Amino acid sequence: MSPNALHSGLIETLSLTMVITSVAAVETRRLRLSIFAYLCQALLIVGLLLSFAAVNKALYWWAATAFVTKAVLTPWFLFRAIRGVDDRELKPVIGFGPSTVIAALLMLSFFRLTHGQMAILSPTELGQLGVFRTNLAVASTVFALGLFAVLTRRDAIKTVIGLCLLENGVHLSLVSLAPALPETALFGVATEVVVTVFLLLYVIVGVRNVFGSTDTFELRELRW
Amino acid sequence: MSGEMLNEVSVLPAAVFLLPVFAGVIVFSATRLGRTFQQWISVLTAALVTGLGGWMAYRTLSGVALITWGRELRVDALSALMVVIISGIGLLASVYSTRYLGEGKTEGVSASRTRVFYGLLMWFLGTMLWGCVTNNVIMLYVAIEATTLTSGLLVAFYWDRRALEAGYKYLMLLTIGITFALFGCVLLYAGAASTHKLAGASALLISDIRGVVQFIPRGTAAITIAFLVIGFGTKAGIAPFHPWLPDAHAEAPTPVSVLLSGVMIKMAVYALARTVSIFYPAWPQITIFLVALGTLTMLLGIILALTQNDLKRLLAYSSVSQMGYVVAGIGLGTYLGCYGGLFHLLNHALYKSLLFMCVGAVMYATGARRISELGGLASRMPITSGCFFLGALALSGFPPLNGFWSKLTLYLAFAHAGLWWAAVIAILTSVLTTVVMVRAGYRVFWGKCVLEGAAAANPKGIPARMSVPMVVLAATCVLLGVFPQAPWPLLDRAATVLATLGR
Repeated sequence: MSPNALHSGLIETLSLTMVITSVAAVETRRLRLSIFAYLCQALLIVGLLLSFAAVNKALYWWAATAFVTKAVLTPWFLFRAIRGVDDRELKPVIGFGPSTVIAALLMLSFFRLTHGQMAILSPTELGQLGVFRTNLAVASTVFALGLFAVLTRRDAIKTVIGLCLLENGVHLSLVSLAPALPETALFGVATEVVVTVFLLLYVIVGVRNVFGSTDTFELRELRW
Repeated sequence: MSGEMLNEVSVLPAAVFLLPVFAGVIVFSATRLGRTFQQWISVLTAALVTGLGGWMAYRTLSGVALITWGRELRVDALSALMVVIISGIGLLASVYSTRYLGEGKTEGVSASRTRVFYGLLMWFLGTMLWGCVTNNVIMLYVAIEATTLTSGLLVAFYWDRRALEAGYKYLMLLTIGITFALFGCVLLYAGAASTHKLAGASALLISDIRGVVQFIPRGTAAITIAFLVIGFGTKAGIAPFHPWLPDAHAEAPTPVSVLLSGVMIKMAVYALARTVSIFYPAWPQITIFLVALGTLTMLLGIILALTQNDLKRLLAYSSVSQMGYVVAGIGLGTYLGCYGGLFHLLNHALYKSLLFMCVGAVMYATGARRISELGGLASRMPITSGCFFLGALALSGFPPLNGFWSKLTLYLAFAHAGLWWAAVIAILTSVLTTVVMVRAGYRVFWGKCVLEGAAAANPKGIPARMSVPMVVLAATCVLLGVFPQAPWPLLDRAATVLATLGR
């Protein structure tokens, strides 16, 4: 349970690479590449969980299930949903330039905010360590980028990728909120959203068959 | 108080939610058996669970809490009340569905589709019941997310343009919303664990967190409450997190609408009340915030309902408005407020289910659900129109129906707490509700007949399996109106659990 067992340098590198993969997943217009960026991020999360397992052995279990659900099943469902159709994303609400600027601002503000307010956000002593601070700040940034993607993308498949990013942020933050508690791994496994992703994609494929596209702007039957 | 409560080990809390889950598995696996088998299994399971719920409620009246798996599941009077409401409405909705789904809009629906329907319906019931009996704060979140998953495909069941849109929005918005509740639940757990005052109790169990909540740092508590309100509030349809609600409640098949509007949103309010009410004694400021949120919801909901032409959307918006009353009442934190809130929760489950069933009957008979396309149905559908008006008047809070008593309790609770503005908004909303409901009922049942074609000349008769649940609900509304003291023993104990601010 010694915090010194953590490879802080490695963890910080992995955490910051997470942010890069998130931006890539959000901004890439080719859905295939976007899913690939998501896959990389899932592998990074598994790596992070393995490094944190130095202070909490139960996290090895979570790393194993996260590999199956996040790095295998979710990308597989996503690839299956776009198989045989044009994988170019529909034009988002906000163009590439402004979108990158907004994403950068989101990253800066969320990172700084979380890093500064750690005492409130993570009440455990271990959570105050620098390495967990960085991790939580990265988690909240990934969360914000995911939410940004869900809100501003027209393509339903892309909103699902946004949702996956958002959930990755949530799961990563669980590690920092309660690092040394044995139940943390249980939460991680129990709160897995792979079933949600499967159901959403199932409905979206139905939408494509009925509406002819996955454009969420076409979903305008129900107003008020 | 929960601390003085006697715990009694029992298998009932596990049985009530595992039974529907197993029934769902049976329905899904029995591929060779037909629709009648699926329907019987569902109705029988719901009836059995209602019986068990009633028995649990009876047990909790004597002041014991039923526990299973080392307090992992814990049923006190509040949980028992929720179990009775969910299973009772579930039973009536499944009886109703046997004919509604057999014909009507889903004419020609194959047995494999109804298998999906009944299998998911059972799982939906099971996950809702699980959420009400669990004592584990993380499992509470998991159960609520599970209700979203099990009901998502039920919302999109008709698989047409409107249903698919509603299903997509439902799954997407609720999953994002409920994520905030996950943050809240984990923070609650971490906060309780880091107080180091638990002395052997578990930071995962809500009944144990209750004792140490005042030691959680102020900032952490504030952010926990905010996350819990956003997360569970989204699921409960509290403004401004309500936009998913009218779409899902209106496009789902009517028996599912009954469950969504009648019980699912209540279960989210239950989760909200369960987790947030433990903070009242240490931070009474939250109560004003919750009352403000509740009054905003009731007013916004009914204003949006005013503009609706679609009967089901109108009822859905009215559900938003009514949840405002419940949240404002429970948010008050006093005994009177919690009693009124829970009584209103029970009443709303009854009359909103009744109203959705009536609209379902109108759709079944005529195939239309827009107010402008309907008219003059009173003479041809006497039972449905009678039930609709009873439900509408109960919803508007007319004496001597049940809605009147719970609303009166809430007005008194607001006045007693000195929140006159809340009482005024609540009364204004009630007046607007009357306008909305009477206008709709008048146009549909007494107005000029504008229906065209065969449906106008001879609307289909309503089968007994649809009208009996409606009559049962209408009769319960009247009975609770004439004998408002009947549910007192259970509501009193349930309100005491929530009323952490005292009498």
